[in-house]
Amino acid sequence: MKTFLNLVLLLAFAVSVKAAEVKLLNVSYDPTRELYAEYNAAFAKYWKAKSGDDVNISQSHGGSGKQAQSVINGLEADVVTLALAYDIDAISTQARLLPADWQKRLPNDSTPYTSTIVFLVRKGNPKGIKDWDDVVKKGVSVVVANPKTSGGARWAYLAAYAYALEKNNHDDAAARDFIGKLYKNVPVLDSGARGSTVTFAQRQIGDVLLAWENEAHLALKEFGADKFEIVTPSLSILAEPPVAVVDKNAKRHHTTEVANEYLKYLYSDEGQEIAAKNFYRPRNEAIAAKYAANFSQVKLVTIDQEFGGWAKAQQTHFADGGVFDKIYQQ
Amino acid sequence: MKTLKLKQLIIAGVVGTQFASPVFAADSAAPGTNGTASVEIPALAADGGNPAQEAEIKALKQQVEALVEKVNALEQHAPAEQTATIQNLDQQVRILQRQREIDQDAATAKAATAPKVSLGQNGFSFSSADSNFVAQLHAVLQFDSRTFFHDDNAKGVDGFLLRRVRPILSGTLARDFEYNFTPDFGGSQVQIFDAYAIYHGAPWFQVEAGKFKPPVGLEALQADVNTSFNERSLATDLVPNRDLGLALKGDLYGGAASYVIGIFNGASDYNSTVTNSFAQNNKSLDARLFFQPWKNSDVNALRGFGFGVGGSYENDNPATNVTTSLTPGYTTDGQQKFFTYNKNVYADGVHWRLSPQAYYYYGPFGLLGEYVISDQHVSNDNTHGQKNVDVRNTAWEVAGSWLLTGEDASYNGITPRQNFDPRLNQWGAWQVVARYAELNVDDDVFKGYSVNPNYSLANPTASADRAQAFAFGLNWYLNKNVRANVSFSHTTFSGGYGGKSFAAGSVPSEAENVLFTRIQLAF
Repeated sequence: MKTFLNLVLLLAFAVSVKAAEVKLLNVSYDPTRELYAEYNAAFAKYWKAKSGDDVNISQSHGGSGKQAQSVINGLEADVVTLALAYDIDAISTQARLLPADWQKRLPNDSTPYTSTIVFLVRKGNPKGIKDWDDVVKKGVSVVVANPKTSGGARWAYLAAYAYALEKNNHDDAAARDFIGKLYKNVPVLDSGARGSTVTFAQRQIGDVLLAWENEAHLALKEFGADKFEIVTPSLSILAEPPVAVVDKNAKRHHTTEVANEYLKYLYSDEGQEIAAKNFYRPRNEAIAAKYAANFSQVKLVTIDQEFGGWAKAQQTHFADGGVFDKIYQQ
Repeated sequence: MKTLKLKQLIIAGVVGTQFASPVFAADSAAPGTNGTASVEIPALAADGGNPAQEAEIKALKQQVEALVEKVNALEQHAPAEQTATIQNLDQQVRILQRQREIDQDAATAKAATAPKVSLGQNGFSFSSADSNFVAQLHAVLQFDSRTFFHDDNAKGVDGFLLRRVRPILSGTLARDFEYNFTPDFGGSQVQIFDAYAIYHGAPWFQVEAGKFKPPVGLEALQADVNTSFNERSLATDLVPNRDLGLALKGDLYGGAASYVIGIFNGASDYNSTVTNSFAQNNKSLDARLFFQPWKNSDVNALRGFGFGVGGSYENDNPATNVTTSLTPGYTTDGQQKFFTYNKNVYADGVHWRLSPQAYYYYGPFGLLGEYVISDQHVSNDNTHGQKNVDVRNTAWEVAGSWLLTGEDASYNGITPRQNFDPRLNQWGAWQVVARYAELNVDDDVFKGYSVNPNYSLANPTASADRAQAFAFGLNWYLNKNVRANVSFSHTTFSGGYGGKSFAAGSVPSEAENVLFTRIQLAF
């Protein structure tokens, strides 16, 4: 009996040693397709030169909240690169796939690049949209994604809310009224930021798109600067999309080392250049200065300043029964 | 008259202007104009006409000018209003279309995660969208009849019986774990027949644990719903039926070779472990290798050929017949015991089995054969009884089948080409089957009987040392789930150790002739 059990254990050990090519799955939010297409090629080349190994990176994109839920439900992400820290916190607390202090493992609270929310309008800006006050006017059709599923939409919501707070001496009731008017102007709610871009740019719906800054620039690049223009509001929010290794999945796949290197390389000069070229604001100051012309000057507020952090903001505004649910049902 | 014509002309001109406004707009290209229409009213000839006429004309002129202004205004505003309306409608249509796209995407995404439910010839199945979690409900119902002929002395019991009534709960957990739970309500007691889990790590590496069929006999391993006859042959009397254990198994080279090696509590010959716990320390090591070398080849004639060997080994501690590894007896096709050990006999030492086996299926033709050796050390607990006798019992069988309706024969069951439906002149699949089997008991079991009946291991007047069975039958597969069959089995016995003849009324005292029928439902 003992001999037999030893034989079973030996065979089980033999099975557990993987000899396959290194594969990573990066579960990301909606608008980062172009960024990671370029970045993955660069990292694969870097990793091949460094280790001699081939690495094959697969991507999954969608609304940040939806993506987080997918990972919680079993999508075997090795790394997550989502729109906001709260979504990665959810993976940690609900599925315990990575430790609670994940954000401390990489510089700048694990955000290798930042972004913000701007307006994308039709060429010529026929509705004369210059700031948030114009977005809430009657007759202005606003395109934005669903903040229940999209990280970008949550940032956009909070940017508008922050503006209203600043304008009204931090009167919450006035801010709610403001945000209510904004969403009354929203005819379609896509699940993710990329879907909203499709709605606005391809389906020609709406007068203004509340977009990630990079998404707005990409729309100009793809559809032509003769079709759209970017309008920078007077105030927006500093969006900090974080990245993290999903420890348990990476351990199970034996990809921990590669996954860690994959995220660290985002902070390298090459990684930061790629981010900047794709209209993400790099953390590297020298590279940020080099690409400063790509980015508008705008007053940025942080989620900590205005809303007391993501946990509080999520609970107040985006949880079931929160402010968004109340104003969207009105 | 002239005045009337002039009015008509002016009115006609004003009305005509409305339709021809683009032309006018195009024509009014003078600098400083805004592209609106204008009507030039010719001045009246200064011929000193009637003052009343002049006043009327002046009034008309003013009216015309006012009308022209109105027309101009309409021309300016009407396209813009129309455009705005059209644009608004266009936006509404686009919004509706986009909303529909989003709803369709959401519905597709939801469908992709929705559980799947199905009911069909493979039973009822409920699974997660990704099929990682599956629960299936199957069932087997076998309703038999047995009619014994020429059994005046040893009467077999004629009648109907529920041979197997098994609800089967099986499925998958977390993609790689398979489970099966099969109780049986047929016969005279309820018992758990199968209760096991299998981990499918890789095709070549699977681990099975629980209660299941040990890997020894070929016919025994065939699913109960796929056997050619109602009852398995004499050869299967010597192999274990079901046992509790842990086995490592796998398929190699695309299934061309397979192996199973496991450790079990140890079941006696053609007996199941009825109690779901162990009775002694020593365990049985069972193993089987099976090859189908041409399974994946283009040589059709050889793809259905398989051969292998199964076996078991255990070393039994002395224990009573009731609790451990001694067979309760060998049975005929009609399930009558023609051999039993005496009550004071027990398994005592090594018990090994070896079973070379093979099958061949090609088109409608099927052939299955195996040879089994069951070698067991047995003792009589009487002080002067036979001790540690090395009893070697052997059996073999050959079974052939032919599908009259041309379907492919298979070890794993028959699927009719056409389901039974007389309205469509479809009659299902028909198969003729025949089998020969024999079992030989080691004569040493009767040693000592002539000195004292209590000294031997078995009673030669009640137990045969050889049984030979010939059977033939007809199977009708109405569809994949319903089958009916009729068969006849004739078994003769040999024995008479030491000149003893079988006792009157004992099973071996006369040949057994049994007519079987079965109606089987399985899904």
